Amino acid sequence: MTPNRSGQSPWWAACILLALSLMPTVAQAHDGTGLVGGFISGFLHPLNGPDHMLAMVAVGLWGAILGRPLVVALPIVFPIMMAVGGAMGIVGVPVPPVELGIGLSVVVLGGVIAFSIKPADWLAIAIVAGFAVFHGYAHGQELPSAADPVGYSVGFVLSTGLLHLIGIAIGFMALRRGGLRLVRGLGGLISLAGVWFLFKAVTG
Amino acid sequence: MRGGALPPALLCLGLGMLLAYAPRRLIAPALGLASMLALGVFAVGVPAAWEEIVFAGCWISVVVTSLSLHFPRAPGQLRVLAFAANTGVWVGAVVAVAGRPLDLLFALPCTLVFVPAIILLGTPARLGVKIVASWLAAVAILAGTLPILPTTGYEPDHMQ
Repeated sequence: MTPNRSGQSPWWAACILLALSLMPTVAQAHDGTGLVGGFISGFLHPLNGPDHMLAMVAVGLWGAILGRPLVVALPIVFPIMMAVGGAMGIVGVPVPPVELGIGLSVVVLGGVIAFSIKPADWLAIAIVAGFAVFHGYAHGQELPSAADPVGYSVGFVLSTGLLHLIGIAIGFMALRRGGLRLVRGLGGLISLAGVWFLFKAVTG
Repeated sequence: MRGGALPPALLCLGLGMLLAYAPRRLIAPALGLASMLALGVFAVGVPAAWEEIVFAGCWISVVVTSLSLHFPRAPGQLRVLAFAANTGVWVGAVVAVAGRPLDLLFALPCTLVFVPAIILLGTPARLGVKIVASWLAAVAILAGTLPILPTTGYEPDHMQ
Protein backbone atom coordinates (compact mmCIF):
# COMPACT_ATOMS: atom_id res chain seq x y z
CA MET A 1 0.00 0.00 0.00
CA THR A 2 1.17 3.48 -0.75
CA PRO A 3 1.43 5.94 2.09
CA ASN A 4 -1.10 8.79 2.04
CA ARG A 5 -0.25 12.46 2.15
CA SER A 6 0.27 12.49 5.90
CA GLY A 7 2.83 9.75 5.56
CA GLN A 8 0.73 7.02 7.23
CA SER A 9 -0.24 3.82 5.50
CA PRO A 10 -4.01 3.46 4.84
CA TRP A 11 -3.45 -0.12 6.10
CA TRP A 12 -3.56 1.26 9.64
CA ALA A 13 -6.82 3.05 8.96
CA ALA A 14 -8.29 -0.19 7.61
CA CYS A 15 -7.19 -2.02 10.81
CA ILE A 16 -8.78 0.62 13.00
CA LEU A 17 -12.00 0.47 11.00
CA LEU A 18 -12.03 -3.32 11.27
CA ALA A 19 -11.41 -3.14 15.04
CA LEU A 20 -14.20 -0.62 15.48
CA SER A 21 -16.57 -2.76 13.44
CA LEU A 22 -15.85 -5.68 15.79
CA MET A 23 -16.90 -3.58 18.78
CA PRO A 24 -20.48 -2.62 17.96
CA THR A 25 -22.20 -0.40 20.47
CA VAL A 26 -25.71 -1.55 21.21
CA ALA A 27 -28.26 1.27 21.26
CA GLN A 28 -28.96 2.21 24.89
CA ALA A 29 -31.95 4.47 24.33
CA HIS A 30 -34.54 1.83 25.15
CA ASP A 31 -33.11 0.36 28.28
CA GLY A 32 -35.95 -0.71 30.50
CA THR A 33 -38.49 -1.33 27.77
CA GLY A 34 -40.73 -4.38 27.94
CA LEU A 35 -41.77 -6.57 30.84
CA VAL A 36 -38.30 -7.89 31.68
CA GLY A 37 -36.69 -4.49 31.13
CA GLY A 38 -39.33 -2.90 33.31
CA PHE A 39 -38.77 -5.44 36.06
CA ILE A 40 -34.98 -5.03 36.04
CA SER A 41 -35.29 -1.27 35.87
CA GLY A 42 -37.70 -1.25 38.82
CA PHE A 43 -35.64 -3.74 40.80
CA LEU A 44 -32.46 -1.70 40.45
CA HIS A 45 -34.11 1.65 41.13
CA PRO A 46 -34.15 1.49 44.97
CA LEU A 47 -30.58 0.12 44.93
CA ASN A 48 -29.23 3.14 43.06
CA GLY A 49 -29.73 5.61 45.92
CA PRO A 50 -27.81 4.98 49.16
CA ASP A 51 -30.32 7.12 51.11
CA HIS A 52 -33.26 4.94 50.07
CA MET A 53 -31.30 1.75 50.50
CA LEU A 54 -30.12 2.62 54.02
CA ALA A 55 -33.61 3.67 55.12
CA MET A 56 -35.13 0.40 53.94
CA VAL A 57 -32.46 -1.73 55.58
CA ALA A 58 -32.92 0.38 58.72
CA VAL A 59 -36.64 -0.43 58.78
CA GLY A 60 -35.75 -4.13 58.84
CA LEU A 61 -33.06 -3.65 61.49
CA TRP A 62 -35.45 -1.70 63.72
CA GLY A 63 -38.10 -4.36 63.23
CA ALA A 64 -35.62 -7.01 64.38
CA ILE A 65 -34.95 -5.02 67.56
CA LEU A 66 -38.65 -4.40 68.21
CA GLY A 67 -39.67 -8.04 67.66
CA ARG A 68 -43.25 -9.16 67.10
CA PRO A 69 -45.63 -7.84 65.91
CA LEU A 70 -43.64 -4.92 64.52
CA VAL A 71 -41.00 -7.04 62.82
CA VAL A 72 -43.82 -8.09 60.49
CA ALA A 73 -45.96 -4.96 60.63
CA LEU A 74 -43.21 -2.57 59.54
CA PRO A 75 -42.29 -4.44 56.32
CA ILE A 76 -46.03 -4.66 55.57
CA VAL A 77 -46.71 -0.98 56.18
CA PHE A 78 -43.64 0.42 54.42
CA PRO A 79 -44.26 -0.90 50.86
CA ILE A 80 -47.96 -0.03 50.97
CA MET A 81 -47.36 3.53 52.21
CA MET A 82 -44.44 3.86 49.80
CA ALA A 83 -46.79 2.93 46.96
CA VAL A 84 -49.29 5.50 48.23
CA GLY A 85 -46.46 8.07 48.27
CA GLY A 86 -45.48 6.94 44.77
CA ALA A 87 -49.03 7.53 43.60
CA MET A 88 -48.95 10.98 45.22
CA GLY A 89 -45.69 11.70 43.39
CA ILE A 90 -47.13 10.58 40.08
CA VAL A 91 -50.23 12.69 40.49
CA GLY A 92 -48.14 15.60 41.79
CA VAL A 93 -49.75 16.11 45.20
CA PRO A 94 -47.72 18.83 46.96
CA VAL A 95 -45.73 17.62 49.98
CA PRO A 96 -42.96 19.21 52.10
CA PRO A 97 -39.44 19.06 50.58
CA VAL A 98 -38.96 15.39 49.78
CA GLU A 99 -35.16 15.28 50.01
CA LEU A 100 -35.33 16.71 53.53
CA GLY A 101 -37.89 14.06 54.49
CA ILE A 102 -35.71 11.30 53.07
CA GLY A 103 -32.57 12.59 54.79
CA LEU A 104 -34.50 12.95 58.04
CA SER A 105 -35.84 9.42 57.71
CA VAL A 106 -32.31 8.00 57.54
CA VAL A 107 -31.26 10.09 60.57
CA VAL A 108 -34.31 9.09 62.63
CA LEU A 109 -34.41 5.41 61.65
CA GLY A 110 -30.68 5.09 62.29
CA GLY A 111 -31.11 6.97 65.56
CA VAL A 112 -33.90 4.77 66.93
CA ILE A 113 -31.73 1.73 66.19
CA ALA A 114 -28.63 3.31 67.72
CA PHE A 115 -30.50 4.16 70.93
CA SER A 116 -32.57 0.96 70.76
CA ILE A 117 -35.76 2.97 71.15
CA LYS A 118 -38.91 0.88 71.54
CA PRO A 119 -41.96 3.12 71.18
CA ALA A 120 -45.61 2.05 71.25
CA ASP A 121 -46.61 -0.08 68.27
CA TRP A 122 -48.81 2.60 66.73
CA LEU A 123 -46.04 5.19 67.00
CA ALA A 124 -43.45 2.95 65.33
CA ILE A 125 -45.91 2.22 62.52
CA ALA A 126 -46.74 5.92 62.16
CA ILE A 127 -43.03 6.87 61.96
CA VAL A 128 -42.28 4.26 59.30
CA ALA A 129 -45.49 5.01 57.37
CA GLY A 130 -44.75 8.74 57.33
CA PHE A 131 -41.22 8.30 56.04
CA ALA A 132 -42.35 5.68 53.51
CA VAL A 133 -44.56 8.31 51.87
CA PHE A 134 -41.49 10.53 51.27
CA HIS A 135 -39.48 7.67 49.77
CA GLY A 136 -42.39 6.63 47.56
CA TYR A 137 -43.03 10.20 46.50
CA ALA A 138 -39.45 10.63 45.30
CA HIS A 139 -39.63 7.38 43.34
CA GLY A 140 -43.03 8.28 41.93
CA GLN A 141 -41.62 11.48 40.48
CA GLU A 142 -38.71 9.60 38.89
CA LEU A 143 -40.64 6.75 37.28
CA PRO A 144 -39.43 6.25 33.73
CA SER A 145 -41.87 6.37 30.89
CA ALA A 146 -40.22 3.63 28.84
CA ALA A 147 -40.44 0.88 31.42
CA ASP A 148 -43.34 -1.52 31.47
CA PRO A 149 -45.35 -0.24 34.45
CA VAL A 150 -46.39 -3.61 35.83
CA GLY A 151 -42.95 -5.16 35.53
CA TYR A 152 -41.41 -1.98 36.92
CA SER A 153 -43.76 -1.97 39.91
CA VAL A 154 -43.14 -5.65 40.67
CA GLY A 155 -39.37 -5.17 40.53
CA PHE A 156 -39.49 -1.98 42.56
CA VAL A 157 -41.63 -3.41 45.37
CA LEU A 158 -39.76 -6.72 45.41
CA SER A 159 -36.42 -4.94 45.71
CA THR A 160 -37.74 -2.77 48.54
CA GLY A 161 -39.19 -5.77 50.36
CA LEU A 162 -35.95 -7.71 50.01
CA LEU A 163 -34.01 -4.79 51.50
CA HIS A 164 -36.31 -4.96 54.54
CA LEU A 165 -35.75 -8.69 54.79
CA ILE A 166 -31.98 -8.18 54.56
CA GLY A 167 -32.23 -5.70 57.43
CA ILE A 168 -34.31 -8.15 59.47
CA ALA A 169 -31.89 -11.00 58.72
CA ILE A 170 -28.85 -8.93 59.73
CA GLY A 171 -30.66 -7.84 62.89
CA PHE A 172 -31.76 -11.33 63.89
CA MET A 173 -28.37 -12.88 63.17
CA ALA A 174 -26.61 -10.23 65.20
CA LEU A 175 -29.10 -10.29 68.10
CA ARG A 176 -28.97 -14.09 68.36
CA ARG A 177 -25.27 -13.87 69.02
CA GLY A 178 -25.74 -11.14 71.58
CA GLY A 179 -24.75 -8.52 69.08
CA LEU A 180 -27.10 -5.73 70.12
CA ARG A 181 -24.10 -3.43 70.24
CA LEU A 182 -23.29 -4.31 66.63
CA VAL A 183 -26.85 -3.55 65.53
CA ARG A 184 -26.84 -0.30 67.49
CA GLY A 185 -23.48 0.57 65.95
CA LEU A 186 -24.92 -0.03 62.49
CA GLY A 187 -27.82 2.23 63.44
CA GLY A 188 -25.36 4.91 64.48
CA LEU A 189 -23.53 4.68 61.15
CA ILE A 190 -26.83 4.84 59.27
CA SER A 191 -27.82 7.89 61.28
CA LEU A 192 -24.48 9.58 60.54
CA ALA A 193 -24.97 8.88 56.84
CA GLY A 194 -28.42 10.42 57.23
CA VAL A 195 -26.87 13.58 58.67
CA TRP A 196 -24.75 13.80 55.54
CA PHE A 197 -27.80 13.31 53.28
CA LEU A 198 -29.65 15.94 55.28
CA PHE A 199 -26.72 18.34 55.00
CA LYS A 200 -26.62 17.82 51.24
CA ALA A 201 -30.38 18.35 51.01
CA VAL A 202 -30.21 21.57 53.00
CA THR A 203 -27.19 23.02 51.19
CA GLY A 204 -28.65 21.96 47.83
CA MET B 1 -47.82 -2.09 27.08
CA ARG B 2 -49.88 -2.78 30.22
CA GLY B 3 -49.26 -6.48 30.67
CA GLY B 4 -52.26 -8.47 29.49
CA ALA B 5 -51.41 -11.51 31.60
CA LEU B 6 -49.62 -10.06 34.59
CA PRO B 7 -52.44 -8.01 36.21
CA PRO B 8 -54.85 -10.99 36.26
CA ALA B 9 -52.00 -13.24 37.39
CA LEU B 10 -51.34 -10.95 40.37
CA LEU B 11 -55.06 -10.95 41.19
CA CYS B 12 -55.05 -14.74 41.08
CA LEU B 13 -52.01 -14.77 43.38
CA GLY B 14 -53.96 -12.61 45.84
CA LEU B 15 -56.93 -14.98 45.73
CA GLY B 16 -54.63 -17.97 46.14
CA MET B 17 -53.09 -16.49 49.27
CA LEU B 18 -56.54 -15.68 50.64
CA LEU B 19 -57.57 -19.30 50.05
CA ALA B 20 -54.67 -20.45 52.20
CA TYR B 21 -56.50 -18.90 55.18
CA ALA B 22 -59.93 -20.25 54.12
CA PRO B 23 -61.51 -23.49 55.31
CA ARG B 24 -60.23 -26.35 53.12
CA ARG B 25 -63.74 -27.32 51.94
CA LEU B 26 -64.13 -23.90 50.29
CA ILE B 27 -60.96 -24.00 48.19
CA ALA B 28 -62.25 -26.18 45.33
CA PRO B 29 -65.61 -24.34 44.96
CA ALA B 30 -63.82 -20.99 45.06
CA LEU B 31 -61.33 -22.04 42.39
CA GLY B 32 -64.15 -23.48 40.26
CA LEU B 33 -66.22 -20.30 40.60
CA ALA B 34 -63.29 -18.03 39.73
CA SER B 35 -62.30 -20.14 36.70
CA MET B 36 -65.88 -20.42 35.41
CA LEU B 37 -66.53 -16.72 35.69
CA ALA B 38 -63.17 -15.85 34.10
CA LEU B 39 -63.90 -18.10 31.13
CA GLY B 40 -67.49 -16.84 30.93
CA VAL B 41 -66.58 -13.15 30.93
CA PHE B 42 -63.77 -13.81 28.46
CA ALA B 43 -66.19 -15.66 26.15
CA VAL B 44 -68.84 -12.94 26.34
CA GLY B 45 -66.20 -10.23 25.80
CA VAL B 46 -65.87 -6.69 27.05
CA PRO B 47 -66.15 -3.50 24.94
CA ALA B 48 -62.72 -2.05 24.17
CA ALA B 49 -63.91 1.33 25.47
CA TRP B 50 -64.05 -0.15 28.98
CA GLU B 51 -60.30 -0.82 29.09
CA GLU B 52 -59.48 1.84 31.68
CA ILE B 53 -62.33 0.76 33.96
CA VAL B 54 -61.39 -2.90 33.61
CA PHE B 55 -57.76 -2.30 34.55
CA ALA B 56 -58.75 -0.03 37.42
CA GLY B 57 -61.17 -2.70 38.68
CA CYS B 58 -58.47 -5.35 38.45
CA TRP B 59 -55.90 -3.29 40.37
CA ILE B 60 -58.41 -2.25 43.03
CA SER B 61 -59.36 -5.92 43.40
CA VAL B 62 -55.69 -6.87 43.88
CA VAL B 63 -55.38 -4.26 46.64
CA VAL B 64 -58.61 -5.26 48.41
CA THR B 65 -57.98 -9.00 48.09
CA SER B 66 -54.40 -8.69 49.35
CA LEU B 67 -55.32 -6.44 52.25
CA SER B 68 -58.21 -8.71 53.23
CA LEU B 69 -55.58 -11.21 54.41
CA HIS B 70 -54.85 -8.86 57.27
CA PHE B 71 -58.35 -9.16 58.76
CA PRO B 72 -58.01 -10.73 62.18
CA ARG B 73 -60.72 -13.32 61.49
CA ALA B 74 -60.27 -16.15 59.01
CA PRO B 75 -62.38 -15.67 55.86
CA GLY B 76 -65.79 -17.34 55.93
CA GLN B 77 -67.82 -18.89 53.15
CA LEU B 78 -69.41 -15.67 51.92
CA ARG B 79 -66.15 -13.73 51.85
CA VAL B 80 -64.22 -16.47 50.07
CA LEU B 81 -66.85 -16.97 47.37
CA ALA B 82 -67.32 -13.22 46.93
CA PHE B 83 -63.58 -12.70 46.41
CA ALA B 84 -63.44 -15.72 44.08
CA ALA B 85 -66.32 -14.35 41.99
CA ASN B 86 -64.75 -10.90 41.93
CA THR B 87 -61.42 -12.38 40.83
CA GLY B 88 -63.05 -14.41 38.06
CA VAL B 89 -64.91 -11.42 36.66
CA TRP B 90 -61.89 -9.10 36.53
CA VAL B 91 -59.49 -11.76 35.26
CA GLY B 92 -61.86 -12.60 32.42
CA ALA B 93 -62.47 -8.92 31.69
CA VAL B 94 -58.79 -7.92 31.57
CA VAL B 95 -57.85 -10.82 29.32
CA ALA B 96 -60.88 -10.13 27.09
CA VAL B 97 -60.05 -6.47 26.69
CA ALA B 98 -56.23 -6.54 26.53
CA GLY B 99 -54.98 -10.10 26.43
CA ARG B 100 -54.93 -13.36 24.55
CA PRO B 101 -56.66 -16.66 25.45
CA LEU B 102 -53.29 -18.04 26.52
CA ASP B 103 -53.12 -15.36 29.21
CA LEU B 104 -55.91 -17.15 31.06
CA LEU B 105 -53.78 -20.29 31.09
CA PHE B 106 -51.01 -18.24 32.64
CA ALA B 107 -53.12 -16.31 35.15
CA LEU B 108 -55.58 -18.86 36.55
CA PRO B 109 -52.96 -21.42 37.70
CA CYS B 110 -51.47 -18.66 39.86
CA THR B 111 -54.33 -19.36 42.31
CA LEU B 112 -52.47 -22.59 43.08
CA VAL B 113 -50.11 -20.49 45.18
CA PHE B 114 -52.44 -21.53 48.02
CA VAL B 115 -50.50 -24.82 48.19
CA PRO B 116 -47.09 -23.33 49.13
CA ALA B 117 -48.89 -20.68 51.20
CA ILE B 118 -50.63 -23.38 53.29
CA ILE B 119 -47.28 -25.11 53.76
CA LEU B 120 -45.70 -21.82 54.81
CA LEU B 121 -48.53 -21.18 57.27
CA GLY B 122 -47.47 -24.33 59.08
CA THR B 123 -43.97 -23.00 59.67
CA PRO B 124 -42.53 -20.24 61.89
CA ALA B 125 -42.27 -18.10 58.73
CA ARG B 126 -46.07 -18.06 58.35
CA LEU B 127 -46.28 -14.27 58.49
CA GLY B 128 -44.30 -14.22 55.25
CA VAL B 129 -47.60 -14.81 53.44
CA LYS B 130 -48.96 -11.54 54.78
CA ILE B 131 -45.76 -9.70 53.89
CA VAL B 132 -45.92 -10.97 50.31
CA ALA B 133 -49.62 -10.00 50.20
CA SER B 134 -48.68 -6.46 51.20
CA TRP B 135 -46.14 -6.41 48.37
CA LEU B 136 -48.93 -7.38 45.99
CA ALA B 137 -51.05 -4.50 47.26
CA ALA B 138 -48.13 -2.09 46.82
CA VAL B 139 -47.51 -3.31 43.26
CA ALA B 140 -51.18 -2.85 42.45
CA ILE B 141 -51.26 0.69 43.86
CA LEU B 142 -48.20 1.65 41.80
CA ALA B 143 -49.20 -0.13 38.61
CA GLY B 144 -52.74 1.18 38.88
CA THR B 145 -51.52 4.75 39.22
CA LEU B 146 -48.83 4.71 36.54
CA PRO B 147 -51.26 5.24 33.65
CA ILE B 148 -51.99 8.68 35.17
CA LEU B 149 -48.42 9.68 34.27
CA PRO B 150 -48.33 12.48 31.74
CA THR B 151 -45.67 10.48 29.85
CA THR B 152 -46.82 7.44 27.93
CA GLY B 153 -45.37 4.80 30.21
CA TYR B 154 -47.94 2.17 29.39
CA GLU B 155 -48.18 2.80 25.68
CA PRO B 156 -45.98 1.04 23.13
CA ASP B 157 -43.18 3.19 21.81
CA HIS B 158 -41.71 2.90 18.33
CA MET B 159 -39.60 -0.12 19.38
CA GLN B 160 -42.65 -2.24 20.29
